[in-house]
Amino acid sequence: MMVDIDLSQPPFTLLDDSGRKRVLRGVDLIYFDSGEVILEAGQSGECVYIIHKGEVAELDPHAPDRQSRIAHYTAGDLFGAISILNGTSRYRFQAEQESLCYVMPKALFERLCGDYPTFAEFFRRGLAQKTRLLAERRVESGVNMAGFMLARISDCMRAPLIVDATTSIAAAVAQLNENHADSLLVGKAGRFGVVTKTDLLNALVMEGATQERPVFAIAHFELVSAGPDQYLFEALVQMTRHEVARVVVVERGRPVGVVELTDVLSYFSSRSYMVSLELEKADDLEALARASARLPGMVQTLMSQGIKLRFVMDLLAALNGRIVNKAFQFLIEPRYRTQSCLLVMGSEGRGEQILKTDQDNALIVADDADWAECAVAMQRLTETLYTLGYPPCPGNIMVSNPAWVNSESGWRRTISHWAERRDGASLMNLAIMLDASGVAGDTRLLERLREHLLASCSHDELLLSYFARAALHFNAPLTLFGTLKRPRHGIDIKKGGIFPIVHGVRTLALECRVTATSTLARLEVLAGQGRLEADFAADLGEALTLFTELRLRQQLAQLGGRENSDEPNLVMVQNLSSLERDLLREALHIVKDFQQRLTHRFHLEY
Amino acid sequence: MIRSLRRAADRRRQADGRYGGLFRSYAGDEMVAIDCETTGLDTRTAELVSIAAVRIKGERVLTSGSLDLRLQPPASLRGDSIKIHRMRGIDLSDGETLDEALEKFLDFIGNRPLLGWCIEYDLAVIDRHLRPLFGFGLPNLCLDMAQVYLREMHRTRPQLEPTVNFEAVAEALKVPVIGRHTALGDAVTTALMYIRLKKGALVPS
Repeated sequence: MMVDIDLSQPPFTLLDDSGRKRVLRGVDLIYFDSGEVILEAGQSGECVYIIHKGEVAELDPHAPDRQSRIAHYTAGDLFGAISILNGTSRYRFQAEQESLCYVMPKALFERLCGDYPTFAEFFRRGLAQKTRLLAERRVESGVNMAGFMLARISDCMRAPLIVDATTSIAAAVAQLNENHADSLLVGKAGRFGVVTKTDLLNALVMEGATQERPVFAIAHFELVSAGPDQYLFEALVQMTRHEVARVVVVERGRPVGVVELTDVLSYFSSRSYMVSLELEKADDLEALARASARLPGMVQTLMSQGIKLRFVMDLLAALNGRIVNKAFQFLIEPRYRTQSCLLVMGSEGRGEQILKTDQDNALIVADDADWAECAVAMQRLTETLYTLGYPPCPGNIMVSNPAWVNSESGWRRTISHWAERRDGASLMNLAIMLDASGVAGDTRLLERLREHLLASCSHDELLLSYFARAALHFNAPLTLFGTLKRPRHGIDIKKGGIFPIVHGVRTLALECRVTATSTLARLEVLAGQGRLEADFAADLGEALTLFTELRLRQQLAQLGGRENSDEPNLVMVQNLSSLERDLLREALHIVKDFQQRLTHRFHLEY
Repeated sequence: MIRSLRRAADRRRQADGRYGGLFRSYAGDEMVAIDCETTGLDTRTAELVSIAAVRIKGERVLTSGSLDLRLQPPASLRGDSIKIHRMRGIDLSDGETLDEALEKFLDFIGNRPLLGWCIEYDLAVIDRHLRPLFGFGLPNLCLDMAQVYLREMHRTRPQLEPTVNFEAVAEALKVPVIGRHTALGDAVTTALMYIRLKKGALVPS
């Protein structure tokens, strides 16, 4: 057959062999010169085009020149289907280079849609389902699982709890409780025995041992052991074989750790449990820093298991919140803790940061508090968070900056002042404050302040209009799109995708007095209030998730040292699969749509 | 000269027959790119192995309605031609008989102008088979893509001595070579070359 289309990609995978044969038999070839218009905006869609060779741009002829680029298609991409379904084409398709395309007549396309409902569905359904399709494909590929199965014992073991031979049963129980452990090692003359909670129970209850009896007497000395460099699944095999629930990790004759069955299982299900456990157990800053350093690995594991990004973000926000909260507890005296509220802001406040982000925090102090050394304590907090892996905020929005520490009434005045001024900096500060969430101290202080903020802004049409404008600021991200020839060039998904959605939704949240801080939660509330259609809200959420995921993948690649690009926000279009390009394009369409709605709602036409 | 005399004679004889339509002058806007694979390179002895034809309408190559005929293995299908188009006797065992194939071919092309790469060769082989069975040779207007290319090169770049081989021309015109050494593949590629040339691929910008 002369037709050379890659039918192993969606949507053609949704056809069966005879359907694919019909595609191969039913397409013609057509040549377009560079610059030739293939399909004009408003023209009725007569064909589906599949690019064999060349590049085609999708343009908005009604937009001012610089913003007109919608999408970019290269070999293997398909376009024109939506124009058939909608009747006419919304945008103009123009050949960027000489392009050779296969054309499938409308009649064949419609017959295929009729005969293969899932094929038709592919073109009709929203972004949400397309993303799912992609996720399914990724899980199938299973590439990411490999590294995970190769985890070593040292990745999962905990420090051993070692007591000396004279320790009594009572003291041993106290130690176990204190360390949240299930077993301990008893050492005597270089030999080690293991004592488990079950052993203690049996000794006390079944044998009637007294609490003063040395724990040494009930220890088992025939240890099931393994080396730290062995594979974790070997430990699992050993436990199964010996019917025990733990393996002692021995290095050069010394016990260096213990691997509990529950740890292995939770490691294989996800490492999240381990990290949160370690975090809760941390009783000094060093332990906290160790737990904190494990977060990126945890994210990687969760993502490779196909856990939905939203849940990963939620979990991570909770864990980061706990870290900051603990640091606050270690550093601040209890009486001041109840008289203040520590806020995290920006992406951390929205619960949308994926890896460690800059510190973005502020402090509200109760009006009746008497806290003279507050500034000193806050300076120390900022430094401590830095050692925990949170780099300082380049904009200096941190508690070490006196501008971001204030009394409750002081904050009220500041917010009112920002709302009146409406200049760039004030609007930015309002946006930052709107995303704040309380992580330590008395969060009622923040709730009252947020009420004040919403009350003073939500009815101010002029302010909202100024506020919304920023969402349109990066309107032309797609001009960077058509640069397949230059490998260093990518599109900035933060400016072009993430920011417009986040800020647009934030604006609507301000208008509708939504107190939730995460964009996805805001979208849910807005859809619930009827401010946005449920479908559109879901698509916006999926678009945001897609952008975040693309960015995360680049960040993780950097962590793994596989890529040395220092710009995680730039996505290389040519590195994406055709389906991913398709998704990205649609997601950017949704952003554009959203921007248009904002323009309309907040009168930003000029 | 001899060819046009023969054509005039053929026309007179066929005018009211089944193939009279072939001899009328063509008024439409289509062409047909054709290509044959044969058992040899000598037009006096080569047998047809496959015939392909694809219509060209404006900028479009109508691959969806193309003709791709494989013939029953001729006696002369031998090793050296197998090497060229990788078609063995067994591949052709369920092919068409010669007269069935030629009949389908004639119905497909009608009186449209024909286009081919070094079409004289294909014409000679087809005519040699056509004449004994149907009593006439192909009367269609024929264009040789190689000649068309050469002429266009002389016109636009008179100083150059162009290489006229299939792959080189495809590359010069930026046409992907699809299914080389299959009849339909070469016909489609030839059609694409023609479209590119007509759209001014060689005109210096």
